Amino acid sequence: MDRIRYCAGRVLRALVTMAVVLSAVFLLLRLLPVEGYFGSRSDAMSDQVKEQVLRELGLLDPWYVQLKNFWSSLLRGDLGKSVVCRRGVDVVKIIGPKAAVSFRFGLAALLIEKLIGIPAGVLMARHRGQLFDRLGNIFILLVNALPAIVYYLLLQLGGSGLLGIRMLYTKGDIRSCILPVISLSLGGTASTAMWMRRYMADQMNMDYVRLARAKGMTSSQVSFRHVLRNAFVPMAQSLPSSVMFTISGSLYIESLYSIPGMGGLLITAIRRGDNPLVQALVLLYSGMSIAGMLLGDLLMALLDPRIRLNSE
Amino acid sequence: MTELERAEGRRASGETEPVLSVKELVVKFQLRGRELTALRGLSLDVCRGESLAVVGESGSGKSVLTKTFLGLLDDNGRISSGSILFDGCDLAKLSKERDWVKIRGGRIAMIFQDPMTALNPLRTVGGQIREALLLHGRLSRAEAKQRAIRLLDEVGIPEAARRYGQYPHEFSGGMRQRAVIAIAVACGPEILVCDEPTTALDVTVQAQILTLIRRLQKQYGLTVIFITHDLGVVAEIADRVAVMYAGDIVELGSCEEIFYDPRHPYTWALLSAMPQLSGKGRNLCAIRGTPPDLFYDIRGDAFAPRNPQALAVDFKVRPPYFEVSPTHRARTWLLDPRAPKIEPPEPVQRLREEGIRQLRRVEGKVL
Repeated sequence: MDRIRYCAGRVLRALVTMAVVLSAVFLLLRLLPVEGYFGSRSDAMSDQVKEQVLRELGLLDPWYVQLKNFWSSLLRGDLGKSVVCRRGVDVVKIIGPKAAVSFRFGLAALLIEKLIGIPAGVLMARHRGQLFDRLGNIFILLVNALPAIVYYLLLQLGGSGLLGIRMLYTKGDIRSCILPVISLSLGGTASTAMWMRRYMADQMNMDYVRLARAKGMTSSQVSFRHVLRNAFVPMAQSLPSSVMFTISGSLYIESLYSIPGMGGLLITAIRRGDNPLVQALVLLYSGMSIAGMLLGDLLMALLDPRIRLNSE
Repeated sequence: MTELERAEGRRASGETEPVLSVKELVVKFQLRGRELTALRGLSLDVCRGESLAVVGESGSGKSVLTKTFLGLLDDNGRISSGSILFDGCDLAKLSKERDWVKIRGGRIAMIFQDPMTALNPLRTVGGQIREALLLHGRLSRAEAKQRAIRLLDEVGIPEAARRYGQYPHEFSGGMRQRAVIAIAVACGPEILVCDEPTTALDVTVQAQILTLIRRLQKQYGLTVIFITHDLGVVAEIADRVAVMYAGDIVELGSCEEIFYDPRHPYTWALLSAMPQLSGKGRNLCAIRGTPPDLFYDIRGDAFAPRNPQALAVDFKVRPPYFEVSPTHRARTWLLDPRAPKIEPPEPVQRLREEGIRQLRRVEGKVL
């Protein structure tokens, strides 16, 4: 009962936050230079034509009218049309397919991160100071200390040279996805293992572990029945956001392997002055942050019975 | 005749059978490249069915001692010599987890100081009791659940069936300690080690928990080892008292002997420090100085540097145990026939008079 009330309260708060944040972001984006609405022909336009364009886009209306129009079109799923990158095309249609590509790569990488990182972290914590832990620490250190671009390049060149895999992504060729997915997952695997090891180590020092051992459980029973779940709780909170943010793609890797993903889209849109596209992307990312946090909190509430909205 | 009645009979006749026998136990810890001796050749017999209190200030090695009974010393600690005989087996020699799990819980169980953190916060209280039952008994899950609910009821938790499914944070401190006790009892141990079980609780709850432990001791015929630095708790629960100082037992005797006829200067100092004894309006007595640094070898009597009336020999030669009565011994040169007569401090003398008065009353009734 308490949990249901907590979840309902949390969803309600998220909705309010979402409304406030999206409105604020929308209003801030009104500060973008208006040149971004005219596209490549802005030089050839007379001031009169420019004013005409702005009026048609509703940008000369008072801010509250703009806000109202923004929300009503947003609720219909309309985020405007691109003016530069692909002139006249609905931004949703531009973002959609690119996001889908990034999402597939990102999800595969995320799965690898968790499937390797979590067990690795658990093993490292259980055998602290021993060989596996040391090797793991070296791996974590290397991945964190080397600039990512170095091992991305090494992987690309080494992988394609040694394994004879195509260097660039080819649609429909699953083998060409191997290297980018591995590159994408390396950093996450290292940090997942590192945090998991740390959370496990924290939990192992807890009093309840001592009691569990004193009642006659073997250390592996304690690890799997008590420590693992407790250590997983703080990991779980960031999971939904990680899943959602896979769609934002990776600038480096997508350009290294020519993957048609979301990686550079926001930067391209800003550089080329495509205001509607910039707006759509910024709103999308803010919305995802809030939704990700909401889902993370709901997941935590599911795993940890102590969580309540107010600490009464 | 039950086990308990037999134990009672033995105790009445003065005959004691040790269930656990510690001999010349030395425990060392590696700390920042240095070696610390936490227990310095400690010997102790724990008798079946008794409740033994181990008292001493922080760092005297009380907890280290009981941790060796369960093989729960921290990784940097080890038993460097001595033995712990339990049921024909030397616990000091056990190293494999496989062997220890046969002892832990099922033979010797332990409860800890802080009930707020002793339970896994993410699992139900009932589930954690059932887990102990399933580890040590051949029960089905449903049977174990029924038994766990009965145990919750036994340790005095109302509405046990509903409480079974609740989480630790829904329990108060006292109730959590009851639940921890239920877990320990669920393992079916012979010896229950209580490591300061009431220190973290408020006074009214303390008394309830002590009563509960005593009741369960009778009901299950448990041998209870009580670690505490609260002499009030000792008077409440103990049959015998071991006074520890700097990794050794300096005095051991029955509860009456320790309170009414203490012999070691450290025991005197401890008793004098009880606020109840200093009397209203008088300053509280404190023991001056700090315990010795266990990184160094200790010469003579470890308490000598803090003892204002220490003898010259106290700084040179470690005193042996002198027997005061068959149940009472103390490690102090004051008991040597050659020693000068030194009177205990005033609060201890008052305690002694109180003891004599009580004795007369009892004798008066008997005669």
